[in-house]
Amino acid sequence: MSKRVGIVAVAQNAGAESKDNFYDQAYRVTKEVLDKAGLTRDDVETIISASSDIYHGGISCANAYYWETTGAFMKNGSRQDGESLFALFYGAMRIMTGRYDTALVIGLCKGSENPPNDTCTLMYSDPFYLRNVGLTETMAAAFQMRAYMEKYGITEEQCAKVAVKNLGNALGNPYAHRKGRYTVEEVLQSPRISDPLTELQCAPQSEGMVAALLASEEKAKKLSRKPVWIKGFGSSIDAYDIGDRDLLDGQLKNAAARAYRMAGIKEPAKEIDLAEISEPYAFQELMWCEDLGLCRAGEAGKLIDSGKTERTGELPVNPSGGVLANNPYVSRGLQRAVEAYLQITGQAGERQVEKKVKTALAHGTHGFAGQCHAVAILGL
Amino acid sequence: MTKEYKTIKTELRLPYELAYGATWTRFFEGMKEKKIYGTKCPKCGRVLVPARSFCPRCFVDMGEWIEVSQEGKLVAWCYTNYRYFGMPTEPPFIGAQINLDGTDVNFLHLIGGFDLSNFDEVRKIVKNGMKVRAEWKDDRNAHIMDIRYFKPL
Amino acid sequence: MGRPVAIIGVGQTYHGKRMDVSYPELVREAVMAVFKDTGLSPEDIDGVVSGTMPSMMEGIALTHFYLADAMQSAGKPIMKTETCGSTGVSIAHTAYYWVASGLADLILAVGHEKMNEGDSQATMTTVAEPFYQRYFISGAPGVFSMQSQMWSVRYGISEEKVRDAAAFISVTHHEDAFDNPYAHIKMKVSMDDVKNARIITYPVRLLDVCPNSDGACAVIFASEEMVKKLNRKPAWVKAVGYRGDEYFFGDSDKAVWESAAQAAKEAYNQAGIKNPRKELDVAEVYNPFTFQEMLFYECFGFCGPGEAPDLVLKGTFTRNGELACDPSGGTLCTNPIGATGLIRVAEAALQVTGRAGAHQIPGAKLALAHAMGGVDQFNGIMILGSKL
Repeated sequence: MSKRVGIVAVAQNAGAESKDNFYDQAYRVTKEVLDKAGLTRDDVETIISASSDIYHGGISCANAYYWETTGAFMKNGSRQDGESLFALFYGAMRIMTGRYDTALVIGLCKGSENPPNDTCTLMYSDPFYLRNVGLTETMAAAFQMRAYMEKYGITEEQCAKVAVKNLGNALGNPYAHRKGRYTVEEVLQSPRISDPLTELQCAPQSEGMVAALLASEEKAKKLSRKPVWIKGFGSSIDAYDIGDRDLLDGQLKNAAARAYRMAGIKEPAKEIDLAEISEPYAFQELMWCEDLGLCRAGEAGKLIDSGKTERTGELPVNPSGGVLANNPYVSRGLQRAVEAYLQITGQAGERQVEKKVKTALAHGTHGFAGQCHAVAILGL
Repeated sequence: MTKEYKTIKTELRLPYELAYGATWTRFFEGMKEKKIYGTKCPKCGRVLVPARSFCPRCFVDMGEWIEVSQEGKLVAWCYTNYRYFGMPTEPPFIGAQINLDGTDVNFLHLIGGFDLSNFDEVRKIVKNGMKVRAEWKDDRNAHIMDIRYFKPL
Repeated sequence: MGRPVAIIGVGQTYHGKRMDVSYPELVREAVMAVFKDTGLSPEDIDGVVSGTMPSMMEGIALTHFYLADAMQSAGKPIMKTETCGSTGVSIAHTAYYWVASGLADLILAVGHEKMNEGDSQATMTTVAEPFYQRYFISGAPGVFSMQSQMWSVRYGISEEKVRDAAAFISVTHHEDAFDNPYAHIKMKVSMDDVKNARIITYPVRLLDVCPNSDGACAVIFASEEMVKKLNRKPAWVKAVGYRGDEYFFGDSDKAVWESAAQAAKEAYNQAGIKNPRKELDVAEVYNPFTFQEMLFYECFGFCGPGEAPDLVLKGTFTRNGELACDPSGGTLCTNPIGATGLIRVAEAALQVTGRAGAHQIPGAKLALAHAMGGVDQFNGIMILGSKL
C-alpha cells in the first residue's frame, strides 16, 4: 500500500423523517464535517459522493442535483452508485495516488421522499422475468433466511434476538430512526412481512446524509490528534440471477478476504474489536458474522446466544443499532464506517462500548440476498 | 436477413414526495402573493433567485431575503417545437433565461403573450437583451407556473 | 502522480438501434471485444468499473447487478461510477485511480446505455430541478440552444456565420462516421440539408443533434508492469481533469464555461501542455450538438473566445486540419450516453496507438478525450499519449 489514508472528521443527520429539503440537509452535514475538521470548502481537494437515482426523489443523475451542496462547485469529483462504502474506497484511492491530500466522501439518501424500499429494489430486477414474478430484496432475503435456518439449525428466536439487541442499542444513538426495548416474542409476533421475516426484522426507510473527511497521512496528522486509518478495504459482486447462486455461499467472504489481506489481518475473530455490519434483515447479521470470519460457519446462533456481540460483550456488533435501526439505503455502508470511527475515537456517546476499540470493521451490502458486499477495516 | 426479435412494452411510474424545506416553502408562498424572492450572500454579495439556503460558491448560509424585480432582461431563449414528457404546455413554447433586475443569476421560465404559431414572426419579436415582465395567473397555488410567462415590454 | 497507467485494449459494440439484443447481451458484446483485442480473459481482471446514465433511461436501477454476468464481474471487486453525461470519462477516471493507487494491475471499465428502450428526452428532463426548472428544460436540446445563443451574442458572432459553421461540423462529422465501423448514423448530408432541417429548439435543427443509440464500450487499464509483461502497445494516461458547475442552470455563465475551461486547464497542467492546438494531434470532444462543439474548442484553448466559427469554416478541426476533432464522427453520430465518454477515451487510445483503422490520424501521439454531463454542468477530460 503506497500511502496511508486517515479519517479526520465525520458527520451525519438523524434518520427519522424530516421536512427539511434534501439540498439543505446535504449542505448542513457537509458544513458540519468541514467545521469539525477546521477546514473550509476551499481546503477540500476532491469530493466523492454516493447516491442512487432511484433513491433520489425521482431526480435523475443524482449528483447533478446536490453537487454544490457537498461543496463541489468547480472541484474535481465523482460519484458512486448504490453503495456509499464505494465512495469511501474511491476517496481513499484518490489520496493513495498522491494526487490529493484531502477528500470529502458523502452518502446521500432521503428515504422519506422515496417510494417504499422494495418498490425500488424491484427495479433491480430484469424487466422480462424476475420483475414480473415480483422479486424484491425482501423476497430474496426470505429465501435466504429459510435456507440458512434449515442448513444450520438456526432458530427464528436466534434471528429475532438480533433485532432485540440492535433496536435496544439504538436507544443510545441519537441519530437512530427506529429504537426500543423489545422481546423476542414481540419481534416474532410483529406483522409477517415475507415469511419467515417479520416487520421488526426488516430495516426501516430512513434519511441519511453521512459524511467523512479523508486525508493523507501527513495531512491527517495535522488535522487531527487521533486520525483513524483506513487499513484495508475490499468488495465483491455475485452473479445476477438468484437462481444461479448459492445463497449461503456468497461474496462477502471474498470481499472480507481482500480487506483483511490489505490490512494484514489473519485472525479476524481475534483482531477485530468491533463490527458495524449492514443487516437490512435481522438474520443477515448472523450470516455475515460467519462470512466475515467472526465465528465459524453455522455458529452465529450460538454467538448471539452467548451475548458476545452485545454492546457490553467481547465483540460488540452494531452498537449503533445497525441498519435495523437506521436505513438510509445508499448511505448505510458509510454510516457503519462513521460509527466505527466514533467508537475508535471514543466519541460514540451513550452507545460507546466498554472495551477499548483499536480495530473495527464496517460492512455494506446491497442487492438481492447480498449480491454485492463491501468491507472496510479501520484502526488506530 | 435480419430477424425481428420480440420486445416487451412496459411503463414505470414511481411515487415520490419531495420536501420543499423552509427556504423554498417561503419562496413559493411568495409566488402566491405575486412576489419573487431571492436571497443575498453575506460574503460575495450576490443575489440568487430563486431564494437559496446557502451560497454554492462561498458555502455560507444565505443572509437577507430580497423581493426582486419582476422585470428583467432576456439572456437566452429557446423556441421549443417538440413534445416531451413533463413539458409545461403544448408546443410551441419558448423557454427562456431571464436576468431579473438587481439579481446576479439567470431565472429560468417561459416567455409568451404573443403569437407563437409562426416561427419567422417570433424571431422578429424575440431578441436577446429585450425587457420582459412577469405575467401572473389569477388562480395561484404556490407553484412555479403561478407566473404564466414573462411578456416582452 | 501515482503509478503510471495505460490503456492496453478497447472493445465497442456496433452502435445503433439494437433491438436484436437484450441489454446484457449488448454489454457482453463490448466486453468480449476487449478480451479479444487484448487476448486476456476474465480471470486476469482485478476489478470492474461500470456505469451508465440514470436508471430511468432503461427503467432498471443499479445496473451493476443486472449486468454482472455480462461484464464477467462475478467474484470480483466492483465500482459503479455515474456522473450523468460525463459518466464515460468518470468511469475511465475511476479505473485510472484504481490502478494508479497501486491496488490493482488490470481494471476493466465498462460504459453502457440502451437508449432506444426508454424515452431519453423525458429522462433528461428528470435531471432538471423538480421545483423550479423541470418544466422549462426542453430535454437536452433546449439547454444547448440557449447556451449557443448566449455565446454568439457575447462575442457578436453573426447568426449566419454560426449557422454555417455548425452546418459544416455536421457535414464533416457525418462524412467521418463512414470510416468508423462502429458509428451509428451513416448518412451523407449537405450544408443545405443541415440548414433546412426541422427546428427542434431554435437554433438547433434535426441534423445538429446526436441520435439515441444503443451501445457499450469496454476498456482495460493496466499498470506499467502489466504493460511490459503483456507486451501491449500502450496508450498512457497523461492527465485527468474534471470540474462541476452549480446545479441551477442560470447560476453560472455558460458562454464562458468555467467547468470546461478549468477541467482542461487541470489536465494540461498535468500533461505539460502549453499550446493544445499545436501539441494535441486528436481531440475526441463530446459533441452531441454542433453548436456546442465550437464552445468546447474555445474552452479547451484550441482557439480564442469567439474565434471557433471562422476556424471551423477554414477546416482547422477536420481530419486533415491542424487539430483533428472527432475523426470518429463523434457523439453527433453515435450517442449511447453512459458509454459515450468511454468511447471518446477508447477512440483517443486507438489513435495514439495507431490502431484507428480507416479514420486513423497519421502519426497521432497525443489525444484528448472529453465528456460533458448534467444540465450543462460537468466536464471531464482524459489525455492519452503514445509515450510515458
